[in-house]
Amino acid sequence: MNDILFDVGYGHFLVLSAVLFLIGVAGVLIRRNALIMLMSVELMLNAGNIALLAFSRMWADEAALSAHTFALIVIGVAAAEASVGLAIVVAVFRGRRTIDVDKLTTLRH
Amino acid sequence: MKIYALLVAFAMALGAPAIATAQPAPQAQHFGDVRTGPPAASYSPHDDIVDGHGMGMALLFWAFAIATVVGAIFVISRRNLIAAAMGMVGSFMGVAAIYMLLYARFLAVVQMLVYAGAIMVLFVFVIMILNRPEDEPVAPTGHVGQVVGGLAILYLIGRLVMVLWTVELPNKAAALAAPRATALGHAWGSVNAVGTDLFNGGLFPFEAISILLLVAVVGAIAIARPLSEDSNDEGTKGV
Amino acid sequence: MDPQSLTFLGLPALLWIPLLPLIGAAFNLILGRYFSKATVGTVAVAAVFGACVLAGILVFWGLFQHPNDAPQALWQTGGYTQTAWNWLEVGSFKAPLALHLDSLSAVMILIITFVGTWIHIYSTGYMAHDPGFARYFGYLNLFTGAMLILVLAANLPVMFIGWEGVGLCSFLLIGFWYENDAYAYAGRKAFVVNRIGDFAFLLGMFLLFWAVKSLDFADLDNLAAHGATYHDTTWGPHGSQVWEHEHLTAAAGILLFIGACGKSAQLPLFVWLPDAMAGPTPVSALIHAATMVTAGVYMVCRLSFMYVTSTTAMVVIATVGLLTALVAAFIAFAQTDLKKVLAYSTVSQLGFMFVAAGVGAFPAAIFHLGTHAFFKACLFLGAGSVMHGMEHGGSKTPGDITTMGGLRKHLPITRITFLISCLAITGIFPFSGFFSKDEILGSDWTAHPPGWPDWYGKLLWGGLLIAALGTALYMWRLYFLVFGGNERSEEAKHAHESPASMTSALAILAFFATVIGFIGLPHLRMLEHAPGAVHALWTWLAPSVASSWYVAPGQTMPIASEGADSTTLALMVGALSVGVLGILAAWGLYGRGPSKTVDRLVDGPLHDAYVASKNKLWFDEVYDVIVVRPFKLLARGLFEIVDRFIIDTVAVNGAAFVVGLFGRLARWFQNGQVQRYLVGVIVGAAAVFLVTDCHHHPSFDITRTGDSISLRAETGAGVAGSGAKLHWHLDGSTDCSVDKDKPGDPAELTVRAGDTGANVTLCVEDPVEKKTLVVTRRVPDAPEPTAPAVSGGNEVKP
Repeated sequence: MNDILFDVGYGHFLVLSAVLFLIGVAGVLIRRNALIMLMSVELMLNAGNIALLAFSRMWADEAALSAHTFALIVIGVAAAEASVGLAIVVAVFRGRRTIDVDKLTTLRH
Repeated sequence: MKIYALLVAFAMALGAPAIATAQPAPQAQHFGDVRTGPPAASYSPHDDIVDGHGMGMALLFWAFAIATVVGAIFVISRRNLIAAAMGMVGSFMGVAAIYMLLYARFLAVVQMLVYAGAIMVLFVFVIMILNRPEDEPVAPTGHVGQVVGGLAILYLIGRLVMVLWTVELPNKAAALAAPRATALGHAWGSVNAVGTDLFNGGLFPFEAISILLLVAVVGAIAIARPLSEDSNDEGTKGV
Repeated sequence: MDPQSLTFLGLPALLWIPLLPLIGAAFNLILGRYFSKATVGTVAVAAVFGACVLAGILVFWGLFQHPNDAPQALWQTGGYTQTAWNWLEVGSFKAPLALHLDSLSAVMILIITFVGTWIHIYSTGYMAHDPGFARYFGYLNLFTGAMLILVLAANLPVMFIGWEGVGLCSFLLIGFWYENDAYAYAGRKAFVVNRIGDFAFLLGMFLLFWAVKSLDFADLDNLAAHGATYHDTTWGPHGSQVWEHEHLTAAAGILLFIGACGKSAQLPLFVWLPDAMAGPTPVSALIHAATMVTAGVYMVCRLSFMYVTSTTAMVVIATVGLLTALVAAFIAFAQTDLKKVLAYSTVSQLGFMFVAAGVGAFPAAIFHLGTHAFFKACLFLGAGSVMHGMEHGGSKTPGDITTMGGLRKHLPITRITFLISCLAITGIFPFSGFFSKDEILGSDWTAHPPGWPDWYGKLLWGGLLIAALGTALYMWRLYFLVFGGNERSEEAKHAHESPASMTSALAILAFFATVIGFIGLPHLRMLEHAPGAVHALWTWLAPSVASSWYVAPGQTMPIASEGADSTTLALMVGALSVGVLGILAAWGLYGRGPSKTVDRLVDGPLHDAYVASKNKLWFDEVYDVIVVRPFKLLARGLFEIVDRFIIDTVAVNGAAFVVGLFGRLARWFQNGQVQRYLVGVIVGAAAVFLVTDCHHHPSFDITRTGDSISLRAETGAGVAGSGAKLHWHLDGSTDCSVDKDKPGDPAELTVRAGDTGANVTLCVEDPVEKKTLVVTRRVPDAPEPTAPAVSGGNEVKP
């Protein structure tokens, strides 16, 4: 038990990543509000980044440094996706006056 | 809420100097015969980075990990949208601290700037536009779906834990120690190092991501533009 | 020029004989209703007449050639075959669409086309007021075409085409006025009973094919000459010749004869013929007097070479024929419908023909077939004329003879022709029936097939004599009741003669019924110096039918026997006297209408016989109970169980139900809620890991390169796999308990050849299930064996 608490290793980071990811999944599954769902998606992306960087640190050489570039790109993609997603939410809200995904089940008009 | 914010701030206050003054310890690589991993080289110690062992570092990890998870739980469980957004911000800050512990300094700062600074601001803008901070927390995907999905999630977490329990990850003891420098003499994970890699090997992704961001901006404007050109409805609609 | 090579428009000339009526049928059935009745009638008559002319030309081909290069006449050769195309060819079985013209089929086609032409002409008058005129002639032409195919066929499958075709046309024509339910049922009954016979026919065909591997008449005919050809058929558990050829031909012959029973209305399948009188009278004349019902007789004569090898089959044929003749004659006595009497008379006369065939007198059977065609057709057409007249007189039941009488004053021509035909059928000199019936009786008297008791032929003779007496009685009863005495009803008084189209046919047929007998005079010594034409039929048919019994391989016995003239003459006188006796008795009883004697007899001693005869010996009722009702029960059972339950409920509805079930399942997943899709994704991901966790078989790879052996453990994916503790036993010992407290070995290991024993064992401790798996594999040999380098087993320790 001690070594789990005090000997922090890569496993800890990976478990953290997994937990964060699955919390994000749970958020998408549970919540009906589109904004919350988007936030949960951001959580998932962050979890992925953590895992990526943890493995990168595991090898810790020149080649592994490219994972940082990767993570940077992921952050950029997350930003783009968040902006477009929010734009969609705004547009949908304008038409339907609701962002409850349970009420947005058809593609009519 | 306030207590939470205070906790986060306290942790950061502890952590930042700790990281800044960390010293590496010379460690022998212990890979075992299983994998032909990275060469078993020795580290040249930097004298400005602390030893990876110790309760201090562990305590830092746990503090920020708990902050991240608690923030995430806030996101998925708060009815109030703004509260959820704040939980998100805290979570991002915790993640930034985690990045620091992993010696990804540049990325930690970028995380703070982009995520907590720009994306969450965008979220807050939209929340304000929609003017509907209230929501019901739990959506019925049907009880069957909830139960099954929950079980699946728990199983996945448990499986990962078991895997990590039984598998020896390499290089465990040096997890929190400082890695060696890059060939150009920069610290691993610093701005110089990441920048060098970004503009040498990662040039194409860099250009591509900038185009993507341009497209996203244009797309967001195109989607969120009001359909009717006349501005008479603005007062009544509020969007 | 050799007629064998004659073709017209690419088809062999013989094929045009049935093809002309078929073309006429196609025209009338498809386009007939757009044309006037005159056109339709002309086309139909022209088609059959054309076939008649063509048949005449081909049969008498020699007459049209220059004497120097005329080919041999048909009656001198075995005829010729023309093949249209290859119809069936499966493995070694070939059934080409081949038509064969020899003297036997020549007789048949001449009769069919000639009588058929006159009946077509008659029909133009008889059916003049019927709305289904074109349809009728279409069917009639179709029938003629099918019948011609039947008689011209060169192998059994082609004959079967015609066989089925005439059965079909019989059904279509009997049920011609199908709006009347009873008529439609009569048509159906004819078809079904025919079908039963056809089934036996098919079985006979299969049997012959199985034994002989060919169904050509030429091949089947050779069986008798070369009995050993199928003597080698081995079948049976001992591999010996269980089926000797006599058994084979007997079985095949009887099966084919049952088919003939169905087609030619013999016992026990004759029940359709009286009901078939529901059709128009010319149909009865053509189909049920002259042609279709003779198909069975023709078939037996065509296969005469096969039948003579089996006396068993011949006995069966003769006996059935005799019984039929007697039973039909018995039933005809009490019938009051004009056509029904004639129908039973037909059945009875067919019995005569089959008796003749059964004793081996095939030419006699064909002779009677020919004469019967003429006088029976004339009788039927005459009956049609009478009914036509009665209808015009206002009768609603034109066939009921109790309402007739005295029609000799109103229908004179009909009466004369009817009279002539009655004299013919009774066998009065010099009409044709006399000669043909006499020939049959004479052959019976002298019949001596191998293996029969001597008295059997005499028995047949006696039975047929009684039947002849019966024939005379009921036919003249019919004549006197219809034409004699006084009119018994108003309608009879207003009857009038039929138009010329009908009476001309009657006249022609009556003429032939008179004179046709003179081509078949018996061979009497006193006729030695008569012109050969009087024996024309015998010489004509001689090469086509068998003339000797087959006793054993290589041993034959002639059928015909040389008897003294006196015997022959005595038999002729005997038959004649029986006929005259019958006429006189009928004249006495019915000469001036039904007499008191008849009534006294019917109410008195002959009451039961009368009732039995009137009720047709209850054949139909018996069949209904034995056959029809169980069949209906079976059909209903099958419908309920198989169709309703198994197919509809279980298969069709069940399939739909299962599909619906799966649909409901799938619909749960796709309801438009994104979150439910995500649940699917997560559950799927979890399932992937779950599956890999549950299914893993640890093993290890062992490869040898020269001196070093590399071992690699594969513990599988999943928690258990990655967390498994491994222990290598390089000496191959399978005892894993010694490893209990040792730390785990790495998964990959490289050792030298000498460090290992013959086998290497891997112990895998599964952390999840807490079990130990032992895997042992043999160390492979190196291409060149190396000496063990190091002593003792060195385990590489981590």
